[in-house]
This record gives sequence, structure tokens and C-alpha cells, in this order.
Amino acid sequence: MDWVRANIAVPVLVFLGVLFVSLWLRRIAYNALERWLKERKSEVGKIIISVTRGPFLHWLLILGAYIAIQVSVLTPRWKSDGGKILASIFIAHLGWILIRLGRDLVQLYLNKAKVPQRAITVTTSIIQVAIIVIGILILLELWRLPTTPILIAAIAVIVIAILALRDIFPSLVSGLQLTQQKQIKAGDCIRLESGEEGRVEEITWRNTQIKTLDGSIIIIPNTRLMQTTIVNYGKQPKVAKEPFQFSTRLHLKELTGLNARNLSQLVSRLNEVPDAVVYYHTHNFVEEYQFLTPEPTNDFALWVQDALGYDILAERLASIDTFEFPTIGALRQMIVGVIRDSLAQITHEREAPPGNEFHFIKSISIVLPTPYVAHNLREFVGILKRISIGSLYFHIFEAKLRLQRGTNDFSLWLEDCLEEKELAEQITRLDPYNYTMENLREIIIKLCEKRL
Amino acid sequence: MNPKINIKDYESVVGKNYIEELRMLANRLSGKTILNINSTFVGGGVAEILSRLVPLLNQLGVDVRWQVIPGEAQFFKVTKKFHNALHGKVESISDDDFSVFLETTAKNASQIDFSGDILFIHDPQPAALITKKSDIGKDWVWRCHIDISQPDNRVWNFLKQFVVNYDAGIFSSPNFAQELPIPQFFAPPSIDPLSEKNKELPPEALETVLTKYGLDADKPLILQVSRFDRLKDPLGVIRAFQLVRRNFACQLVLAGGTATDDPESEEVLKEVKERAGDNSDIHILDIPPGSDVDINALQRAATVIMQKSLREGFALTITEALWKAKPVVASAVGGIPLQVKDKLTGLLCHSIEGAAYALRQILANPDYGHWLGRNGKEHVRQHFLITREIRDYMLIFLTLGRREDIIYL
Repeated sequence: MDWVRANIAVPVLVFLGVLFVSLWLRRIAYNALERWLKERKSEVGKIIISVTRGPFLHWLLILGAYIAIQVSVLTPRWKSDGGKILASIFIAHLGWILIRLGRDLVQLYLNKAKVPQRAITVTTSIIQVAIIVIGILILLELWRLPTTPILIAAIAVIVIAILALRDIFPSLVSGLQLTQQKQIKAGDCIRLESGEEGRVEEITWRNTQIKTLDGSIIIIPNTRLMQTTIVNYGKQPKVAKEPFQFSTRLHLKELTGLNARNLSQLVSRLNEVPDAVVYYHTHNFVEEYQFLTPEPTNDFALWVQDALGYDILAERLASIDTFEFPTIGALRQMIVGVIRDSLAQITHEREAPPGNEFHFIKSISIVLPTPYVAHNLREFVGILKRISIGSLYFHIFEAKLRLQRGTNDFSLWLEDCLEEKELAEQITRLDPYNYTMENLREIIIKLCEKRL
Repeated sequence: MNPKINIKDYESVVGKNYIEELRMLANRLSGKTILNINSTFVGGGVAEILSRLVPLLNQLGVDVRWQVIPGEAQFFKVTKKFHNALHGKVESISDDDFSVFLETTAKNASQIDFSGDILFIHDPQPAALITKKSDIGKDWVWRCHIDISQPDNRVWNFLKQFVVNYDAGIFSSPNFAQELPIPQFFAPPSIDPLSEKNKELPPEALETVLTKYGLDADKPLILQVSRFDRLKDPLGVIRAFQLVRRNFACQLVLAGGTATDDPESEEVLKEVKERAGDNSDIHILDIPPGSDVDINALQRAATVIMQKSLREGFALTITEALWKAKPVVASAVGGIPLQVKDKLTGLLCHSIEGAAYALRQILANPDYGHWLGRNGKEHVRQHFLITREIRDYMLIFLTLGRREDIIYL
């Protein structure tokens, strides 16, 4: 009876006691853990619970058996061997669970980072092999068997793996960081330190694809993206009804072969030349000296002063406000009228010295579409910062007077397609003839940025 | 041209946008071949321009080729006479001269391979090749690099019968335009900002050149770069300098060379040296051709650059000076007023006294000089660099035959 109590009853009772207490503790711990994870909506937690809940029971059984053996009256050697057998079972079982856990977690993260399936399989296999090797090493150590050959082999494999994956690994880590930290996500408008700007199209495990303002796709390695300063404007602002297609305007100067040596000839020629000639001579100064704050002047005023020496007439011509006129015809009439008024008061006309005649030149505009298209105000500002002076000139000066659109193209689009009436009016009110082209660009950008 | 220079290198000079626009135009010319024809591969302004333009256009993806017309010495003697006559110089030209010109042209027309979609003919020497147009068609453009504002009528009328058959003409200045039935475009000449003559130089290079010519680095330097020719008025420059030197410690450098085809230049140099006398602040430098870096360094070391010419073509020396952000004092002749807008990008003068007055203004007000220089540089950047010339040509090629005022490409 004593033998039965000492060799069977006590160990069984201890086993059952440990099992009962452990199960109770497991239930409390898992319930608390589940509540905590539910609050945080953690997918990782869910995987850990689902993978470990069942096996935990097996581990408790092993723990109970181990304690039962230790309290039994078996010889120390049997106790030691029994303990080692149970520890080996536990290590093997734990390894198997860790492999499952590793596989599920790898799939969770790498799928999110859009890593190709092949790479997921490779990563899972590496983790499996690593766990198996570590498990074998522990078992060998437990049974006091030599581990050096396996250790050397493991180190060699690790070194080879590191060398093979030295480029991929940082990208992978960066990709995981980007997707996990959610600093940027597909659809965000971002600007990089290097000036590249656009909308995030896709983030993969190695790189991020950005559609730039000129419509091209740039692919930036995630490692570079993590090291640079990014301005994230977030989601796109309101989308315009119609996108704004930026055009650029280049020009040729066509020589008409016509010239004038005095005021009578000037006014006579002015009446017969095409609008493109009047346009050239009233806008040439703005274009030629667009880096200076231009005086709102015209070639007629300059020639009348420099070549003929009529200072008062030059002043009157220079003071004609080109911005006020809706058409070139109306502007021409004004210029002709001012010269005729002066001519009526002149008895002896002055002649320009030879070589200083007024040469009538025609402006030929050549308009080309650029790759830049704005779908919203943010893109519009981004593009404004990088378009050429020719593009700015076309949409501001040519649109209003030469194409007779009533105002500049920017205001038209902002009002009609973005319903930004106030902003459109602010830009319409700007007299572009009083700014350098770069100043004009800056002012319009500031007005738009205020709205953003 | 330095073979290392790439069209991309110009991005830092004119901006990325500008080069992007050049590429847009070049794309539209893809599939077209442009054949340049002139009279020589080396020597002279046209060959120099083409040696830079052709590789740059090729780099942009435009199929541009270059051929020269062959000819006997007699032919080139005649074309030299034509050249001078078109410049307004009195030349004795006989009927035989016209015959030589026509015979050589007819021979060349039968020998030259005119494979190309656009034939870009430079200057009068190959201009009569247009007679081939009736056989082969194609687009023909005549680029006149010379000043024909006051041509000898006999030579011009002879040439005009060919010019009127071109699809377009290109001239370097508005006053070179003639009454012609064809479209005439204004495209001023240009400089290459990356050439030896215009590229940035380190301070040591300036010091070396100043030492080489015995110049004082601490004294304001007034410079005129031009060959020794009466039309450049070197004596007027010395007089203006003498007027300024009464009040300002400064030095004058007249840097140039003597032309082998101008017997007068030796005489002018002698006169200049006599007028300079023993004034140690006047330096007459007879610089051999090809000393581009020396000229560049002198221009960069100068305080003010002058061009007090009595008559001038386009005056690329002024373009070079403006590009180096130097204040300039120049006569209002030829192409100078196109580049120097008085009191904005430099100072114009009409007399020796006016030149002296302008020099004093700049020497007494260095900030004003710097402001003029900065404006001048921007003006050149916008209008007188090789990139603009390339752009103009591409625009002309793309719009041949179109007569609208606003052309959508």
C-alpha cells in the first residue's frame, strides 16, 4: 500500500494538481490576453493565440509529468533520463509551434508588403531551418553530445545567407517599416528632399512607386525613402472637373522687312501691319527683360525717345497700360491715336539717324503641350514651381490678349473646374506687366498655397 | 568643340526646363534629316558655329549632317569679293566673276549628295545651289550670317534671284532684312558658355594671365578686345581712358591681333602704340589667334569692358563680356543696341566724352557696375547662348510652310 501511495498515488496527484492549477492559470491568462488584443485589434496577437492555445495544454501535460517524476521515488538516474526525455519532447514540440508561428507571421507581414510568394516561401524556409538547427543544438547539448560540427555548418550557412541577402534585407526591413508605421500609403501626395514630387502609386517590399507631376513613374528603393525627408501632404485635395494641361510657348521673330524712319511712317505702317506685329512690339520688352522688374513700356516708346528724341510722346506711349486692353486691335488704336495727337502738333518731323530705323517684327508663337497635367490644386502648385517661363508666359499673357480669353488660363481653370472663385479673382487682378516672370510665379504659388 | 561637352551640361547654365523643351522639339523633328551646307569645315565663324551646333543637335536626337562645297581658288576669290560687296565695301566685280560663281555652283549641284529633308544653306557661297530645288524639291532654308544692311546692289540683286526661291531666310539682325517674298526670321548669333573662351575659370588662372601680361591685379582694369582696326576706334578708347585717368587710378588693356588679310592693321597697331606713349597704365597686347583662355581670363579680370567701335557687326565680344557679368561701355552701333539696353544691361555711348563719362560712372559706383553686369549676364542667358540658336533653328524647321501667327505643334 505504501509502495502504491509512494510510486503511483503521489505522482498522479501531483500531476493532476499541477495540471489543474496550470489549466486554470492558462484560462485566466488567455482570457486577459484576448481582451487586451481585442482592444488593440492586433492581428499578431490573434495568430499567437490561435497557434499556441492547443499546444499550451501539451506543454502543461509535459510540465505536470516532469514534476510528478521528480516527486516520485524513482532512482536519480531514472528521474534524470525521464526529465531529459520530457525536455526533448517539449523542445521538439516548441520548435514545431515556433515554425508554425513563424510561417503565419511571415505571411502576414510579407503579404502586406506585397512581397512575391517565392520570397515568402524562401523566408519561411529560412526560419524553419533556423529553428530546427537551434532545436537540434539544444537537444544535443541536453544529451551532452558534440555540437561543434553543426555549429560550424550553421555559421557557414548564416554567412552565406547574409552575403546573398545583404541588399534584399535592408529593403525588406524598410518596406516593412513603411507599411507598418503607415507614414506614407498609396494615394498620398508626397515631396522628397530631392525635389521629386507626386502621388504614391504602390509600396512594395523593395521600392515605392511615385507618379510624378509630369506623369512619369519613378521607382524609389525603400531604403532610400527611409533615409530621406518626406513631406507627406496626405490624400489629394478636391479633384478638378477637367485637368489643367500645361502648354509651353516658344517664339520666333519674323522680320517683315518693313521699317519706319519718322513718326508718319511709323503710324502709317502701324495701321497696316498684322496684330502679331503690334503684339511683338508691346510685349517684347516684357519678354526680353523678364528678369528685370519691367517698366510697362513698349518698343514704340523706346524708339520714339532713343531715335527721335520725342520725350513727351515717349512718356505718353510708355504709360499706355497694356493690361487694360481686351484685344490687340484696341491697343493698336490707342497707340496710333497717341502718335497722331503728337503729330498734329509737330511742324517739322525728325528723322531717325541711319541705322536707327524702327524695324517691324512679327511674333510667331509656337505652342506645345508639356507632360505636366494638374488634377487638383496641389498638383497645380507643384507644376507651377517647375514649368518654364515660356509656359507661364503663354497661360498669363498670350491667353488674355492674344487668344482673347478675357483673363489668364489659370483663373479660368480655377473658377470653372475647381470652383475656386476667390483665388481665380485674386490671380485675375494681378497686373502681370508690373512683375518679373519669376515674381509672378512666386505670387501665384503663394496665393494657391494659402488655399491649401 | 570639346568632345566631352554634352547637351546635359547646359542644364546648369540655362535650366532643366530649357533643355527639356529642346528635347520636345527634337522629338518632333525625329525622322527628318537636316543637311547643312557651307564653304568650309574649319576657320571662320560659320564653321565654328556648325562645329558646335551639329554635335549638340545630334545629341538631342536630330539627324543633322554637314557638307561643304568644293571649289577652285578662283571661286573662293569671287565669293570673297561678294562677301565684301554685301558688307557694303566697294569691289570691282566683273561679269566673269558671276560666270565663275555660276559655273562652280552648277558643278557642285551635280556632285553634292543632297540627301536630307531640309537643306540648310549657310551664307552666299553655296546660296545658288537652290537651283537644284526644281529637280529634287525638299525644304530649303538660307542662313545669312553676314551684315547685308547696306549691300552693293549689283551683287545683292544677283544673289536675290536665288534667295527668293528659298522657303525661309534667317538673318542676324532686324536691319539685315530685305524686302523679300519669303519668310525672314531674326536669329541673332550666339556664344557657347562652355567653350574655352567663355567657361568659368578658377582665380589662379586669372592671376596667371595677369602676371603673364604684366598687369596690376589691384588696379581697376578697363579692357577692349578687338583686332587693331580703325573701325574699332582704339585711339578713341585711349583718349577716353586718358580723360578718366585724371580722376581714377586705373589701367587700360587693348587686347587683339593683327589680321593677315588687313594690311592696315599693322599700321593701326603702330599708331596705337605711339598714342599710348610711355604711359605704363596702357597695355597694348598683340594676342595670337587661338588664345581663348587668355582672352577669357582678361575679360573676367576686367572691371569694365569697352567696345567703342565706329561700325560693328553683331559684336560677339560684347556678348562674351556680358556673359561674364561685366559692366560694358559700348557704342550704339551694329548689333550692340540689341545686347546693351542703355542703363539696364550696360551703358551706351556716342562719343569719346560719352564713353569717358560712362566709365567714370561705373568706376565710381562699383555696385551699379555689378548690377549692370548681372542684368547683362541674364540677358545673354535668355537670348544669346547657343541653346537659343539651336531652339530657333528647330522651331524654323518645324514650322516651315506654316503661316499662322500662333502655331500649335
